[in-house]
Amino acid sequence: MTKSATATAPRFVRADGPDKVTGSGRYTADLAMTGVLAAKFRYAEVSHARITKLDVTAARAMPGVFAVLTADDVPDVRFGPMVQDRTLFARDIVRFEGEIVAAVAAIDADTAQRAADAIVVEYSPLPIVNDVTSALADGAPLIHEDWASYGAPSNMVRDRNDASFSSIAKGNVERGFAEADHIVRSHFESDGCHAAPIEPRAVVAQWEGNKVTIWTSTQVPFDARAGVCETLEMPNNRVRIIVPHLGGGFGGKCGFHYEAHVAALARAAKRPVRLVFSRREEFLAPDKRREGVVYDFETGVKADGTITARRVRLVIDNGAYTADAGFFSQLAAMHSLGPYKIPNALAEASLAYTNHQPSGSVRAPTAPQTCWALESHTDEIAKTIGMDPVAFRKLNAVDTGAEGPSGQVYGEIGTQRCIDAATAAVGYDKPLAEDEAIGVAIGWWPSFASPSGAYIKLDGDGSGQIITGAQECGTGAVMTLRQLAADELGMQPEDFELVYQDTSAAPYDMGATGSQTLFNNGRAVIAAASQIADQLRELAADKLEAAAADIVLAGGRAHVAGSPDRGVAITELAGIAAGGELLIGHGSGTPPPPPSTVGSTCVGDIGMSAWRAPQFSCHAVRLRLDRETGVVRVLHVSTAHDSGTIINLVGAQGQVQGGVMMGIGQALTEGTKYDDQGRQRNAALLEYKLQTCADAPAIDIHFVEINTPDAGPHGAKGLAEAPNVATAAAIANGIAKLVGSPVRNLPMTAERVWEAMQS
Amino acid sequence: MSTSFHLNVNGTDYPITVEQDRNLLSVIRGEIGLTGTKEGCDDCECGACMVLLDGQPVNSCSYLAVQAQGRAIATIEGVMVGDEMHPLQRNILDEGGVQCGFCTPGMILSAQALLARNTTPSEEEIRIGLSGNLCRCTGYTKIVAAVQRTAVELRK
Amino acid sequence: MSFTIAKSVDEALAAMAKGARPIAGGTDLVVGARHGKAALPTDLVAIDRLDELKSVTTTNDGVSIGALVTHHEIEMHPLLSTAYAGLADGSALVGSPSTRHIGTLGGNIMNASPAMDTGSPLAVMGAEVELRSQKGSRRVPIEELWTAPGKTIAAPDELCVAIHIPAPADRSNSAYVRLEYRRAMEIAVVGAAAFVALNEDGTIAALRVGLTAVSPKIFTGEFVAQIGKSVADAALVVERVSKEQAKPISDVRASDSYRRHTVGVMARRAVEAAARRAAGETIAIPVNRAIGIGAAS
Repeated sequence: MTKSATATAPRFVRADGPDKVTGSGRYTADLAMTGVLAAKFRYAEVSHARITKLDVTAARAMPGVFAVLTADDVPDVRFGPMVQDRTLFARDIVRFEGEIVAAVAAIDADTAQRAADAIVVEYSPLPIVNDVTSALADGAPLIHEDWASYGAPSNMVRDRNDASFSSIAKGNVERGFAEADHIVRSHFESDGCHAAPIEPRAVVAQWEGNKVTIWTSTQVPFDARAGVCETLEMPNNRVRIIVPHLGGGFGGKCGFHYEAHVAALARAAKRPVRLVFSRREEFLAPDKRREGVVYDFETGVKADGTITARRVRLVIDNGAYTADAGFFSQLAAMHSLGPYKIPNALAEASLAYTNHQPSGSVRAPTAPQTCWALESHTDEIAKTIGMDPVAFRKLNAVDTGAEGPSGQVYGEIGTQRCIDAATAAVGYDKPLAEDEAIGVAIGWWPSFASPSGAYIKLDGDGSGQIITGAQECGTGAVMTLRQLAADELGMQPEDFELVYQDTSAAPYDMGATGSQTLFNNGRAVIAAASQIADQLRELAADKLEAAAADIVLAGGRAHVAGSPDRGVAITELAGIAAGGELLIGHGSGTPPPPPSTVGSTCVGDIGMSAWRAPQFSCHAVRLRLDRETGVVRVLHVSTAHDSGTIINLVGAQGQVQGGVMMGIGQALTEGTKYDDQGRQRNAALLEYKLQTCADAPAIDIHFVEINTPDAGPHGAKGLAEAPNVATAAAIANGIAKLVGSPVRNLPMTAERVWEAMQS
Repeated sequence: MSTSFHLNVNGTDYPITVEQDRNLLSVIRGEIGLTGTKEGCDDCECGACMVLLDGQPVNSCSYLAVQAQGRAIATIEGVMVGDEMHPLQRNILDEGGVQCGFCTPGMILSAQALLARNTTPSEEEIRIGLSGNLCRCTGYTKIVAAVQRTAVELRK
Repeated sequence: MSFTIAKSVDEALAAMAKGARPIAGGTDLVVGARHGKAALPTDLVAIDRLDELKSVTTTNDGVSIGALVTHHEIEMHPLLSTAYAGLADGSALVGSPSTRHIGTLGGNIMNASPAMDTGSPLAVMGAEVELRSQKGSRRVPIEELWTAPGKTIAAPDELCVAIHIPAPADRSNSAYVRLEYRRAMEIAVVGAAAFVALNEDGTIAALRVGLTAVSPKIFTGEFVAQIGKSVADAALVVERVSKEQAKPISDVRASDSYRRHTVGVMARRAVEAAARRAAGETIAIPVNRAIGIGAAS
């Protein structure tokens, strides 16, 4: 079944909507409290150096300065979600320009900045590693001399500047190449880029006794709490993380960032402290930018178009510290093989330390750029054998019952239907103007299972509250939980309020990451609601003198099945319950088991080679090229997604539209530029160009809805990341048709497109 | 050196004493205490700080507070019509044009200014009119639909 | 520090004679100060209430545009957007919608950025700037106004009060185009303006071209040798000469070689658009969004 964007979407009423359109909703930087001080960081500003002098005396002595902290003022803890290679403050060595050397809390932001500037820091330069190839060359300077002593999971393969090597091997690639009629080789390089949410991050910390409350713009409140507890050596129950409204994240606000710094400042200053990032800091400092990658592909095909073998070598720019990029190698390896039937495969991926900003999960990490490279390579293969690129994909792409490149066999999936829907909607076969072309790409993305919990209560007046650790970064996933609870209880979504993103109020949830909120927390909410449903049925059975099993909850009432007149309002039942056993439900969505892979071996296996409830997509783009300048204009994007059952159509459409625009930016106008000292040259929105409203093309949306088992509620899969995967790739394939060959660097800026036309 | 003047925000007069190099955004959010207007960047590039000055859209991050004296300043807090949502607010919610909401106040004010000077905007005119407001979440489609719907509604 | 709001031009000039810097919309000043380019002047005189500087007046010689006329007003002005179309093209592209509502023509040209969008159109139209101080007024050909990036020939006590543009002859008009990577919120990577006058037979009667963002000041050239040539031939010559004469830099936006190539393309397209307008065709303001890659689809 496919649903198009013209289908009437049921109304989606956001609980946080009125806050956001009236300006009454508070984001972290809007919070104020009596006595709050302003925090500023002193950054390294050089990419690789040894600290030879660090003197905070003058800064500490300045009037209006309440605290100045360096590495000596916090516990000596090395942390990191995968490799423990990080400290809160620089110790001895700074490894990227945004590394924090010291932190100041002062009476106002100006004083804090002057104090930060007054800190004396001297450096002795170390050689700067400015690209991944040099990072892995023999004799390359080590970014982490003590890498071998760092804690890390035993299944990670690390060696000097390679923080995480992973490979996927299936069959015998040499034999596969021997069977091929053609072997196509391609090289691609993608630059790093940024999540760039419109809200720069902020953190406020306040101590009361030995407990601290931290309001922070994080997508992952429980990760933030874990980071504070680990680095400040505190128990979970004395750190409370609350997220006010969050102004977007896209992964940029995942991970553990500055909560501990601000908490430490507040403790030292004995006053609450507030940190508000500038946009420039938002570009330079967080360890969550999208990684640059270098790719070499080699694919063997028969003349009839079947793939016989694929070999890939790719190197990911880890930046200076590992953050959560540790699993990127295996994930990128999967993306580099692609959603294709490949009997013989070998993908080898490394994660190279450099002196750049650390990389971390940004919307579908490693996927958009790897899809761009692989799908460009795929069109090259099709061109080599004289086959239409869509026909090539239809021949080789996985679909229901097929075996994927890592040996996973898929249940019902919608790849072929997505290809058909997207190419039909864009008008693939229609004649085009001389300067227009249509590019097509397919993408995929896993769903992520995670423990997750929620409570629901109905108060005596029948009004409901859903209390969840889930985090709403804007997608509307948490807002949709009301719909799920209401459906279980025969009530309206508006009957429920949400208490969310507060680690002390609610059980664990992984956060707004991995497109997992509805997938996992949705199941928890349904489980919690069904407990209350059982309670309501018992109460109704008692009141109506019927069997609980015969009670139906619908329309705000509980009635006997088949006799709608024999019923009682849920509000009345809630009133009864308030005098006795309270209506409380708790739920924890049990994560579905991981699928198995047969016939592939993985080195550095971090569990990314078999994908739960994988999502598939096809994007088809019609674009225009100004041949004299290389400027590309995207006119029409037709998308088709298999993300399982769609629970919230309006929300899902929003994710596709946003993901496509982000993809266009990645394709054409974004991208980080470095100078030869490893520093970002375009750390501002004038020179780091996001797509504007005037740039947006027409966007078609089709969902191939497959009620998927072992997945999310009602057969849903994840959704938020998948729409960002295939857009840049489709654009690349359109450009390649007009230019005559692929543009091998991402972003495919006008100047790069023009240069490609000159050669 | 501080300077004293009055600012009229959403019809209310506020006495202000601040350094003359303070921008309007920081005074609206600080001394006046209205946090609906947001700071999204530091180089006049995102539009999250949009306010209306005598009906004209202005990036308040790049406008001196002291220079706004004598003008009618409108922020998002003044958009509601009494206790009712303005059609722009209602429609942007109904269409699904609000996700994280950080760009929303600026977007609504730019749209308000656009519709005040053009009651029959084409889609292109709406897109150009909102091109100074960056949104990273929605891809703009549903926001444009909301403005189109509002234009029709306001004409009735 | 002082901040005064001038209620008349004379008041403004008096304040400037005592060392105050004028501020109109203030965008360039405030943004520049935030980025440490130049500290905000300590003594400011706000000139944004001077209604006498906000008019567009037709004269016998052409048109006088008050320095405080905004880009939005220029874009929407019935005379400027038709007979002086190149200027309207430029104003329609400055910054964002809000910058166009608050930003003024005087502010744009006195900021003297080599990438300013109104500079080359004014130059090719032979505009003059009127500078006034307590000591009197003078008119300066606009190309002489700019001395270096961010610097003008104006004395500290001189206020730009008007820009005067001579009336275009029959069968003449102008156009401004620029290279953009996205359809809004851009600064010119390179740009070009052209003023074209046509003979009755459609050949060139006069041709002036101005180049934006490829040299420290707006570069202008008068193409006398193209008089009598076809528009198509002249445009190709303009393209070639523009590439030769440009002195672009490499920066984060573009390399010098790409700028050198694309400014030639922009110059040729500006000539073609100006010629079409000179021949009586209407091309909507701005050319960038009316034809070519930036056109609304």
